[in-house]
Order: sequence, then C-alpha cells, then structure tokens
Amino acid sequence: MSLNVTLADYGVGNLHSISKALENCGAKVTVVEDMSLLLDAQYIVLPGVGAFSRTMERLLPYSEEIRDMLLSGTPCLGICIGAHILYQGSDEGTAPGLGFIEGRVAKLHTHQVPEMGWNSIEGDDPIFEGIANRYFYFAHTYIGRPEENVMVGTTHYHETFASLVRKANTYGSQFHPEKSSDSGLRFISNFVRFAEGCQ
Amino acid sequence: MLTRRIIPCLDVKDGRVVKGVQFQNLRDCGDPATLAALYEKEGGDEIAFLDVTASLEERKTMLHVVERAADQLFIPLTVGGGIRTKDDMRNALNAGADKVALNSMAVNDPEIISECAEDFGRQCVVVAIDAKRDGDSWYVHTYGGTRSTKLDAVEWAKTVVDKGAGEILLTSMDADGMKTGYDIPLTRKIADEVDVPVIASGGCGSVEHIHEVFEQTAASAALAASIFHFRKYTVGEVKEYLRDRGIHVR
Repeated sequence: MSLNVTLADYGVGNLHSISKALENCGAKVTVVEDMSLLLDAQYIVLPGVGAFSRTMERLLPYSEEIRDMLLSGTPCLGICIGAHILYQGSDEGTAPGLGFIEGRVAKLHTHQVPEMGWNSIEGDDPIFEGIANRYFYFAHTYIGRPEENVMVGTTHYHETFASLVRKANTYGSQFHPEKSSDSGLRFISNFVRFAEGCQ
Repeated sequence: MLTRRIIPCLDVKDGRVVKGVQFQNLRDCGDPATLAALYEKEGGDEIAFLDVTASLEERKTMLHVVERAADQLFIPLTVGGGIRTKDDMRNALNAGADKVALNSMAVNDPEIISECAEDFGRQCVVVAIDAKRDGDSWYVHTYGGTRSTKLDAVEWAKTVVDKGAGEILLTSMDADGMKTGYDIPLTRKIADEVDVPVIASGGCGSVEHIHEVFEQTAASAALAASIFHFRKYTVGEVKEYLRDRGIHVR
C-alpha cells in the first residue's frame, strides 16, 4: 500500500517538482487547495512556494487543529516557506505562524540576500542516511530561528543557521530537496520511509 | 559554504536548442529536455532556457518544452526570453520554471519587477541585462539586443535590485558568442555594486574563462552554452578543473 501524502497548494507557484519527487519515491500525492482537507491528511507536505502572510492567510482558520495534529505525531515535511510557517511568526509578514515550533523567522544576518545556490549541511539525523553529497539547493532571505532544541542540520552563510529542524514527526527544511538533484531525491525518499515507519 | 554555480544555457527556437554568434547565425544543437537532463546528470547546478524567438505561436511551443524538461529535472530551471506580461511569467512558472528572467518588459515598465516579486516571490524574479560597451560605460539593450537604450547598465542593475529582482543575469553583448572570455570589467563592476547574485554570461569559450570570471569577480554563477553543447567539456570536467584551482563548487 502506498503512502497517501496531502500536499498543500496555497495558490502560488508550481508544485510539479515536489509532486513528482514524492511520486518517484512511491507516494500517492493529493494536492489540496482547500486547507480544511489537511485535517484529514495521513501525511502532510507543506511546499516551499510563496510568501509568509499570503500562505498563512489560507491556513489561519485551521492553524490550531493543524498544530495539534503535528504535536500528536502526524508526519509532515515543511520546505522553505512551508517550514517558516511552523514557527510562531515571521518578520516577513504580520500574520502569526502555526506556533508548532517556538521561535520566529527573521532575515539572514547579511546584506547579501537572497542566499541562492548550493550549500552544505552538517548533521547526523537518520534522514541523511545514504546521502554522500551533502550539498542542497537554497533560495531564501529569511530563516527560522528556533528557541527550543529542534535543530538537526546546520548550514553556514555569513552565520550558522538551522537548515533542518525536527520536532515530533515533522521535519522543516530550509533547502529545497525537490531541487537538489540526487541528494534531494534521496532525502525525500528517506522522509517517505520515515513517515511509513510512523504508522 | 555557498558554492559557485555552473549554469548550462539552452537557447531555444522552434522547440530545438540553437546556438548563434552575437545573437545571429543559429546552429541546431539538439532537444532541450534531453540536453537539460544530461547536464543535470553531469553536475549542472541549474539550467537556463532562453526563448530566442518572439512570436506568440512559438511561445506556446516554448511552454511545452518547459513542461517536458521540467518533468524530468530536479535542479532549478530559469526561463527567459519573450516574457511580455505578468501572465507570461505565471504561465512559465506553471509550466515548471522555478525562476523567470525579465528583460525588455522590465525596461519598458520597471514597476512590473515589484509586482512580480510581490506575487511570485523575489527569489523567482531574475532580471536579464544585455549590456554593450560604448566608451567607458555599458548601455542596456532590449528585444534580443536589437534596440539600444540610454540606460547605464550599472545604474539599471541597482534599480532592478531596489525594485525587487532576486538575481541578475548579466550578458555582455560584446563578448557573446566570441569565445574570448567573459567581460570581466563589466561583471566585476555590477557584482560589486549589487547585493543579489549575479550570473556572468556571454563569451565563454573554455574552462579557463570560467575560472577567470570566478577568480576576478564576485559573480555567483557562470552561464555557458557552446562549450557544453559542442561537447568541448562536460559540466563535471569544468567542476573538476575549478575544484583543483581552489574555486568552491558542488
């Protein structure tokens, strides 16, 4: 039986790559525009397209329920903006975040933004299993700054920041695994195996 | 540490990859989707597709090419050329592009840069600047290099960043297709003046040229076409050469 992943479509940007990557790893992907459908999800992927406030506008009516789902162990992968909304809020917008992770999203400590390109990740979380080349693709100006112990991957760009966080069965990645060639596909495949193991 | 990027560039006309000299004399180089997938395998960091035609019919062909290529690509894809409206940009993104390069449209109406950044996110708005030297300055040209403007390329680069461009694709028209190396003074000047990443383009004829532009300027990426299309080097060979000389690449 294949894994049923619910992919949130906030209405901006393309979800081709992440859908394709999940499908390649054997998952069945359901794209939902109605965010209330996330509440029925077995596994959630929050993709990395769009801006903070516009994304949260859609999620806000369900934010408490989604937070409770994640706290009680529903497996979830949040990518870039999809990871930012896991926090309590962001300097990028006025809307509150889901508040699943303590801390806020703030600008990188440099004028040289966006950070765009391939950077390496340090960390020994099992989700990196079998990934020899640790370079992943980043495209961001903001970064989540957790105030609890959830950091499982770090990256350096003018400062050392949390490029991968993990809490309960949720991973939040600042990089784009769906744009990170073989290393990214293996990361997604490892997430799918991890999510299956949470059943 | 963030690495320098190598971006194979595919000029696309009538659904085929072509390569010209100073924007003219086009030669057929193969199928865009096949080449893009090959370059990913070799270690290309991103792919750029530039539509070198302009008619409406051909632009539809281009969207199919983007769809077909994006379907088997897991690295970022930038699409440029012939983007005239915000809807064109949306269509390219929906077809599978990760970033869209604006050129003439941005010159005609600079506010469109801000609107696109707001709607789609700054990281997917690339402004392409085609610059040609005249005396001690470089001037912006539009419509595939056919029309000159009075815009100073360095000032224009600063303007587009203020408006919300997330990246600059800087092509030297003097160097394009000449295979004599990137325009180092132009690239250095603009890469030093703006905070967003600058992609150096035009003039690459050998791996030494890529080394030179990374060593002598702050360009964050180098774009090249013919050295890859005509199989002078694989992307992997270029990276090995750079790595051996202390340039940080993936």
